[in-house]
Amino acid sequence: MRNRGLSKHYYLMLLPGFAWLLLFSILPMFGLVMAFQDYNPGQGVLGSPWVGWDNFQYLLELDDSRTIFFNTVYISVLKILGNLLVPLVFALLLNELRLGFLKKSIQTIAYLPHFLSWVILGGIMLDLFSLHGPVNHLLSAFGVRPVSFFGRADLFPGLAVGSDVWKEFGYNAIFYLAALTGISESLYESASIDGATRWQQLWTVTLPGISTTIVLLTVLSLGNVLNAGFDQIFNLYNPIVYSTGDIVDTWVYRSGLINLQYSLATAAGLIKSFVGFLLIVLAYFLADKYAQYRIF
Amino acid sequence: MKKRILIGFTFLLSLGAWATAQAADPYGKYDSPVTINIGNRIDPTGKFPEGDSPENNVYTRYAKDTFNIIVKDVWQSSYADYDRKLNLAIASNDLPDAMVVNDAQLRQMLKADQLQDLTDVYAKYAGPLLKAAWAKTNGTADKAVTFNGKIMAIPGITVPDDGYTLAWIRKDWLDKLGLKVPQSLDDLEKVAKAFIDKNPGNLPKGTTIGIGGPQSGGQLYGDFLFHSTNNNFAFDPIFSAMGATPGYWIAGKDGKAVYGSIQPETKAALAKLADFYKKGLIDPEMSVRKDATEGIIAGQVGIFFGPWWHGYWPFPDAMKQNPNANWQAYAVPLNASGKWAPHSGNSHTQFLVVRKGYAHPEAAIKLQNGLMRDQFTFNVEATRIENYPIRTVIGMPDDLLVARKAALDVLMGKKKIEDFQGGDYRSYPYLLDDIKSLLLVKKPPFDNFDIQYWDTTSPKWPRIYSIIVGGAPYSNLSFKVSQLPFYSSTKTIETKWASLKKMEDETFVNIILGGKPLSAFDEFVTKWKAQGGDTITAEVRQELGQ
Repeated sequence: MRNRGLSKHYYLMLLPGFAWLLLFSILPMFGLVMAFQDYNPGQGVLGSPWVGWDNFQYLLELDDSRTIFFNTVYISVLKILGNLLVPLVFALLLNELRLGFLKKSIQTIAYLPHFLSWVILGGIMLDLFSLHGPVNHLLSAFGVRPVSFFGRADLFPGLAVGSDVWKEFGYNAIFYLAALTGISESLYESASIDGATRWQQLWTVTLPGISTTIVLLTVLSLGNVLNAGFDQIFNLYNPIVYSTGDIVDTWVYRSGLINLQYSLATAAGLIKSFVGFLLIVLAYFLADKYAQYRIF
Repeated sequence: MKKRILIGFTFLLSLGAWATAQAADPYGKYDSPVTINIGNRIDPTGKFPEGDSPENNVYTRYAKDTFNIIVKDVWQSSYADYDRKLNLAIASNDLPDAMVVNDAQLRQMLKADQLQDLTDVYAKYAGPLLKAAWAKTNGTADKAVTFNGKIMAIPGITVPDDGYTLAWIRKDWLDKLGLKVPQSLDDLEKVAKAFIDKNPGNLPKGTTIGIGGPQSGGQLYGDFLFHSTNNNFAFDPIFSAMGATPGYWIAGKDGKAVYGSIQPETKAALAKLADFYKKGLIDPEMSVRKDATEGIIAGQVGIFFGPWWHGYWPFPDAMKQNPNANWQAYAVPLNASGKWAPHSGNSHTQFLVVRKGYAHPEAAIKLQNGLMRDQFTFNVEATRIENYPIRTVIGMPDDLLVARKAALDVLMGKKKIEDFQGGDYRSYPYLLDDIKSLLLVKKPPFDNFDIQYWDTTSPKWPRIYSIIVGGAPYSNLSFKVSQLPFYSSTKTIETKWASLKKMEDETFVNIILGGKPLSAFDEFVTKWKAQGGDTITAEVRQELGQ
């Protein structure tokens, strides 16, 4: 009886989340039929003429499509790798610190950028890396000629990935730090009695102890392979770096909301969602297999 | 009896005529309040006098007092986001009663059958000023908004001068270095180089910018579709000097329309610009910089390109930082045959439209009538004129030339203020006010227009300086514009232009910045033709009747 009361209260807390999901993710799915229409706002989703696969066919003909899908996968795979490895190393280093106060302050400072939006951080990044900005100032001290960082297509993916990892590593480290607290102290004690060095303890106790978390996070991030981060790219990119920086989401935004090609934009978005869905299903089975993580 | 009926009948007739005359008065006030819902463009940083707001200010009260029109904002957005917000409204078919749209949006709304036919309403309610400006366009206004014989929008009418891109140069820097105003492209290069090497502005080392460039996402040159006029901080005059007209449709060797960007002249001009950039003559942060006006306001830029009206923006801000910056406009650089050959642009880029089914389409037109008749009486210093509901810029096409000539005649003592009252001058509502402001703004000598002979702090300075200095370079020149008058869309432009233009922008900016070799141009041309460009060319020729 008491138990049921408790769960009601939890369900109630889920409600806002579900409402959000319904309004912004489930309901808009009906609009996907636009991908198979020549959408005309006056006639609406119900009345617009059907065109079958025309939009998809045109997408395939476009040079852009290859570029944007490649850029998306390239940038997001790099981000996923960076966002798995950097926080892991950071968490392990933090874990070696014995001073509780220092540990807490470093952790807090490191995850602060996570709470800033890309609109703000984008502006800061552009200033930092501008021709007369601090970074170029520093470089010129070493005799390097000033570089217009955001004006170079070859540097853009690196900057995007680097800044994203910098923004998120503190926050992502929390998962590892939580897992690290789950490792029993007695394991470390017996290891040190057996004469294991700190380094050996890391390899034989710490890493195996959090391996499930590492595998789980890796597998779950598979679903994000086609999400290269609209907020970030949109606030950092410009036409000079389209060849390496334009991703599916920014392209969909420009075609749909700037150039009024609703159906074409929807088609590109649908392809992205479809591939993303397959990846999530795959991730789910892999998670079950290697990390014994199930939802259903 | 018969007579009585007749008298009664005549009375009724005249009553009827009186009633229609009343109803069709362009400036008439409604008996009961009429509400008009609009999507309002606002400047998020703009200020209002105490107690006012975008929805309740001197202009909305003017609408209420003059016409009994209540203006309601169904949504508000910044200028930068307006198109996106409006596109959403169009896509979801959830429209305000009246709105200001661009050519692409106009066509989209036509296709979606969202527009009210304004033919009758225009005939009945357009004010004399609106009709006079419309008639002066030589039919381009009609052509821009007539579809299947019906008037579907009220076109904005701007001066063609907005389309000419001039060279604005720091004359104080020229004078200090003993340089003449550059004429050829080579002269321009030498001047830019001297500005950087000799640092006439006494700026910290490495911060002088010879030629200002576009900001991030800015245009390298105007284009026929969205930015045919008012293009600034771009390189149009350099292209023009080399005989290139990228972004516009021009007459090819056989006289038929070809696209300017894929011509060899454009390639040569790009090579020139890449050379300038490599030599450091162009802003090294072009196309990356967030705001192209930064360098001009800070006094770092020596030359930039833009239309006549830069006295409005950003010079007032530049004057606050550096009151001696003597910005003068010139019709240079000249082309190989020593001529100035700019491109012009479309005078109709904005359109006032009414949602289909709105009960009072004439209310939108009345608001424009009121604006055109009374705008010069408004205190635009206290509340910016941009806050006027659904403001569409409509003026006489020769407004600038007439205003400039009048101003000079008065300054030189050839004419008096009284000469400009009445007659044809009634169609130029700003004119009298301009002439009256002259002596408040201009200091003697009246034939020298250098910056020290102006009161740059006067609120009238931006307009008068723009008219006299910005209008000066070409007022006595005879010149031919380089492009064909095609500024609209075709079936294939609607679907394929975005990706073609993206390819163009990306290729050209990278050629200038040195990220791609010049040979990327040839590759671009091949791809452009194959990916829809040839089809579009055929369609444009058909539209032009070739």
